[in-house]
Amino acid sequence: MHKYSIFLGRCSNLYIFGNYYFMKKIIFLVVFIVFATKAFTQSVFPANGIKKVDNDVFVFKNANINIDENTVLSNAILIVSKGKIIDVGSGISIPKNSIVYDLKGKNIYPSFIDMYSNYGVVVEKENSTFYGGPQYETKQKGAYYWNEAIKPEQDAARLFSSNASQAEEIRNIGFGAVNTFVKDGIARGTSAIVTLSDQKENYTLINSKVATMFSFNKGSSRQEYPSSLMGAIALLRQTYLDAEWFEKSKENQENSLSLYAFNQQKKLPSIFEANDKWNIVRADKIGDEFGVQYIFKTNGNEYQRIEEIKSCNGKLIVPVNYPQTPDVENPAEADLLELDDLKHWEMAPYNLSILEKNNLQFAITASDLKSKSEFLINLRKAIDMGLSKKMALKALTTNPAQMLNVSDKLGAIKKGYIANFIISSGDIFEKNSYVIQNWVNGIPYGKNNLEQFDFRGNYTLVNSSSLKKVELKIEGEINKLATTIKVDTLTRKSSATLGSYNVSSTYLNCGGLNSVTVYEIKNDKEEFFGKLYFDDGKEEEVFWKKNAEYISEKKDSALNAIASISITYPNMAYGFGELPKEEKVVFSNVTAWTNEEEGVLKNVSVLVDKGKIAAIGEKISIPADAKIINGTGLHLTSGIIDEHSHIAISSGVNEGSNTATAEVRIGDVINSDDINIYRQLSGGVIAAQLLHGSANAIGGQSALIKLRWGLSPEKMKIAGADGFIKFALGENVKQSNWGDRYSIRYPQSRMGVEQVYVEYFSRAREYQQQKKNATTNTNFRRDLLMESLVEILEKKRFITCHSYQQGEINMLMHVADSFGFRVNTFTHILEGYKVADKMKKHGVGASTFSDWWAYKFEVNDAIPYNAALLYRMGIVTAINSDDPEMGRRLNQEAAKVFKYGGVSEIEAWKMVTLNPAKLLHLDKITGSIKVGKDADLVLWSQNPLSVMAKVETTMIDGRIYYDAKSDVLQRENIRVERQRILNLMIKAKRGGDKTEKPKAKNKRLYHCDDLSNDTYLDELY
Amino acid sequence: MIKNITIALVLVVNSFVFSQRPTPAAEQKNEVVIKNAILHVGNGKIIENAFVVFDKGIIKEIGTQFNQATVSASTNIIDASGKHVYPGIIATNNSLGLTEIEAVRATNDLYEVGSINPNANSSIAFFTDSKVIPTVRSNGILVVQSTPRGGFISGASSILNLDAWNYEDALIKSADGIHVNWPDIDSPNFNSDDKDAKEKSEKGNSYVKRINSLIDLLLKAKNYSGTQEKDLKLEALKGLFDGSKKLYVHAQRYNQIYDAISMCKKLEIVSPVIVGGAESKKAISILKKFNVPVMLQRAHSLPPNADADIDYFYKLPALLQKEGILFCLQYEGDMEAMGLRNLPFLAGTAMAYGLEPEQALCAITINAAKIIGIDKKYGSIEVGKSATLFISTGNALDMMTNNVEQAFIDGRTIDLNNHQKELYHRYSQKYGIKH
Repeated sequence: MHKYSIFLGRCSNLYIFGNYYFMKKIIFLVVFIVFATKAFTQSVFPANGIKKVDNDVFVFKNANINIDENTVLSNAILIVSKGKIIDVGSGISIPKNSIVYDLKGKNIYPSFIDMYSNYGVVVEKENSTFYGGPQYETKQKGAYYWNEAIKPEQDAARLFSSNASQAEEIRNIGFGAVNTFVKDGIARGTSAIVTLSDQKENYTLINSKVATMFSFNKGSSRQEYPSSLMGAIALLRQTYLDAEWFEKSKENQENSLSLYAFNQQKKLPSIFEANDKWNIVRADKIGDEFGVQYIFKTNGNEYQRIEEIKSCNGKLIVPVNYPQTPDVENPAEADLLELDDLKHWEMAPYNLSILEKNNLQFAITASDLKSKSEFLINLRKAIDMGLSKKMALKALTTNPAQMLNVSDKLGAIKKGYIANFIISSGDIFEKNSYVIQNWVNGIPYGKNNLEQFDFRGNYTLVNSSSLKKVELKIEGEINKLATTIKVDTLTRKSSATLGSYNVSSTYLNCGGLNSVTVYEIKNDKEEFFGKLYFDDGKEEEVFWKKNAEYISEKKDSALNAIASISITYPNMAYGFGELPKEEKVVFSNVTAWTNEEEGVLKNVSVLVDKGKIAAIGEKISIPADAKIINGTGLHLTSGIIDEHSHIAISSGVNEGSNTATAEVRIGDVINSDDINIYRQLSGGVIAAQLLHGSANAIGGQSALIKLRWGLSPEKMKIAGADGFIKFALGENVKQSNWGDRYSIRYPQSRMGVEQVYVEYFSRAREYQQQKKNATTNTNFRRDLLMESLVEILEKKRFITCHSYQQGEINMLMHVADSFGFRVNTFTHILEGYKVADKMKKHGVGASTFSDWWAYKFEVNDAIPYNAALLYRMGIVTAINSDDPEMGRRLNQEAAKVFKYGGVSEIEAWKMVTLNPAKLLHLDKITGSIKVGKDADLVLWSQNPLSVMAKVETTMIDGRIYYDAKSDVLQRENIRVERQRILNLMIKAKRGGDKTEKPKAKNKRLYHCDDLSNDTYLDELY
Repeated sequence: MIKNITIALVLVVNSFVFSQRPTPAAEQKNEVVIKNAILHVGNGKIIENAFVVFDKGIIKEIGTQFNQATVSASTNIIDASGKHVYPGIIATNNSLGLTEIEAVRATNDLYEVGSINPNANSSIAFFTDSKVIPTVRSNGILVVQSTPRGGFISGASSILNLDAWNYEDALIKSADGIHVNWPDIDSPNFNSDDKDAKEKSEKGNSYVKRINSLIDLLLKAKNYSGTQEKDLKLEALKGLFDGSKKLYVHAQRYNQIYDAISMCKKLEIVSPVIVGGAESKKAISILKKFNVPVMLQRAHSLPPNADADIDYFYKLPALLQKEGILFCLQYEGDMEAMGLRNLPFLAGTAMAYGLEPEQALCAITINAAKIIGIDKKYGSIEVGKSATLFISTGNALDMMTNNVEQAFIDGRTIDLNNHQKELYHRYSQKYGIKH
């Protein structure tokens, strides 16, 4: 069994002393070993009895050999011995005493390499049912990082053990080596390259510490932090900073095996499991911050945002797991699918070809396939959709080998390389050809015989004493045959059994005939030997004459019918085929709610140019090239700004774990594909503050966005906007309504809430001082939580605080006063009216609900007159939604301030436009109709405060993002597009596609006290 | 002892200063005339410059030429010039009175143990002293169908007026119908009720299995004679077959609606009602054929999925109106009790999206009364009916103009003050704000 030793043996030695400093020496050793193997083989393993000697030399001749994706040698020779390729080429001499296989008509390829595998390192997870209290600190014993999701010390090579059945499964689809690692945690440690032979690990382990692996998923860690995607991002950022600090640390105040390992891995390729187009962009941003270019593991939806993916500059590892065809023949069930599901089903097989067209470098993985046997089928589908065969081979061999730094021994058929190669019946990327054998480490694997005779074809019986006319048809795959027999007029079908040199079939009720056999051997007349068996036990020797060779039928995939690729932005219902353009527009003869001193102006025109409001007045000069929107009878306002929103956020609105999480940023997790963006545009909303939730006293940083539907998350952010952060008070912070499990986190009372603030701001002050005192020589540990708090102290970041009861509102203002800053906004602030005088004195603004109350104890005294009272006390007051449904009716909510408390229409209207702009420090650029401000305008069918008002047009930066008339067309498009794809699905089912029952997406809409992040895992996995 | 008395006195005095809720109104003693009003009859008609006369809680006369001489000196004459008079709004399918503060478990009387509770009657738990009720009343909602939640068969709803000393006084109809949560094939967006979802997964039963179990139960109830061993649940269900109780089927998808109505017809259940009915526009013909009314999903709801028209629920009422389906608007969903005061504005939104103004009003008055079976007495301002009505200075369906000045339940003059107004006045005084 031990075919070759020194090479791999050395490698495993390297591994045992394993660390990357030794890697450089490999090259030297390899050179040494290549010479050494020619002479003799050595092994540390003692033989029990007689040593088994491996001197076999295998020769494959007459094959089409794909050296790599660029070179094919036809009728060439491959020589393999002791697990390695001895020589390859045309016209090379065949060594004596070698075992020679004639592979005429067959193809040889380098075995594939899967860069993304957990082969042999699957760690059994503990039982997932868990009843204990929440865990805030690490339970990991030993000198490791504070958070259990950071485990760079994890070393796949140490955990690796061969697994015969797993290996066989992936060998069967052509893989010969994999990059394997432990799929657990955010920093997952190092991977190992192993080959897929069944040998002892000493021979299959090629390299350890090959790449360092990352993800956004905390895996088996039971620690509360991080509970959201933004938390995972923040944790990873802090880990990079801590590692830097640790590396420079001379005093070693604290030791950490995790950070030590993390630093050791810096120079390795870093692979990030992003599994979504936006997560690729998110991960890339982290990489940019720390000078790391990740290789991204994707989920196959990159085609939806190819420009953004390109700008990440990362290589990709791409799966071929397309969505299974849903069975949509029952229309009621088809209704469960949304257009984005349908579109993705149609487009997923195009992903690879789109990546190729855009010159992205990628490897292909089989990792996400539930059934590995679908790998070649799906890969061929991608080829049908335009992926070149050359690129397919490159993505399975050369590319992964290069990315993993093993292109000197894997990924090609070259002299001295490990003997990993596939022998296929034909072009492996064509239908009906299959892997005959997969040689790994020079050992043949596969159920099929290299010299399997092709029995397929049509035969007639030449001679028989008892039967006259018999026709036999043999078809199917070469190793899985089926037969049809016709005896006179009787036709019977059956499966076939392959023997060593023959094939047989047995029939029932076939006019006395029971079985037939065809032998591979022929007589002089080129007729095949055969045998007939009869029901009465008699048998007869016969001959078969082959009339026709087998011709495979090509089945047309339903998908081939697609004429053009259609991607919208976002790729779902109401997405734009073409993004809105900046327009020169005049809203003529409108009633304009200026929010300025002029108040409401009747019969005026408003000119929009270069994204800004250019002119307002009864008689303004209208440029000849301006598009005129007749606003007669209509009302034009500045757009609604929602001060408190949780739409458009991916995977958790709360990092509801630790008491203070000022380091997490909603800006990291904006979801530009949320349909609620479009819905709110239809309600006249142009901008929103996407707030962190209210699960902790010091929450995360918010993101200010304009609802630029169709653009990427980064492009939705308002450039140059001030930084804001969410604080929270009261029941949510005290975990009052979280259930009995949650009773150990500090604070559990309002007394403790105050102390949290005093404590953290005291720390922040100390940190600020330390940072100031630090010189270039100081090894200063940057703490992202503290930096965020220091920004507050330095008036560079502003607090929006979730608040209900008067006492704690008062308290936070005192804390702020004592630390020399001002609370910017109290949000909810339902008892604000009780301390309005104190709020006025502090100079804080208010963003409240029009009429919510009684949903928990602390809002028992909430009143709908709150906004009116606050306004009358001279406080900048806004009305917000905190609700995706109400967010599109904020005009109605503003009207309630008119109803409850009698605030004038103009002032009530400002509460959803200018006032939130002021609270968000955006009033210089938006919030009113004023020359020079951004053209963020909404055209209403009538007085926007009326229940009858509808939005005609919503414009942001001079671009029209919502238009009632276009919306009608969109609805029609959605219907037509849905039906087109549903028909394709039915066609695919009829064409033989396996189907599954349609499932509705489980979508979450967030409120600020929403703790659940169940989509967190759903979306990532 | 003296100390206790002092405390008691202090409490009494305090209650004058600030009462938790207004005192229920006394019986109507004197005849009332509202004159010069814009009268919204509630049956689709509007009468300008109208007068209404009511006495002993009953409407006696409606007309346009009010003659002062015809009434006695004790008659209370209200001049409603330029103001609107509406029938009291009827809130169907709501948990008002069964929950006070959602997050405080002790204040919730919505759910009973187990999944089959037809015998649980909401009126028993109806909390007439709720602080929420007066705030709802202040916007013109005067009658509620108080409805339990959860489980497969949630329980029986009851119809009550919103001004009473106790539930018996408030009752208009006890156990008017049984509420069933129809199983769904797969619908995370609808039926957002967590308890229901949890139960569904615990049972792990398929759609068909669960329906079969319901059919079994109803068949038993149909054949229950009362002479056997007493079965409270079957006894409670019995009324479905003689028409004394309605069957409120909470169902959103059209296939559910088809199945529910088919079951009711086969089992001869007299009065089925669909509650929710998000996809009722896809089941028009069966709703029409069997005259099954619909209590529509809250109009202020997000569309059922990303592909749906963004104004899906806004325009659904107008679609049903056009098809001639009897429907009403209701407020089931998040914060349904405290948010119930927004019910008139659902009608307002429906009006913006295609309902005629008076049709929109019907959707929260006479239609609701018809569906829950109290239209002989409530739901419109017509002679012989209960004087349950209110006066608003402007259009009550628009939040900008809804301003209820006076309200009457069975002729009784309701105190429209509430906890929130009290706080408003108290703090306005504190800050010296005049309004």
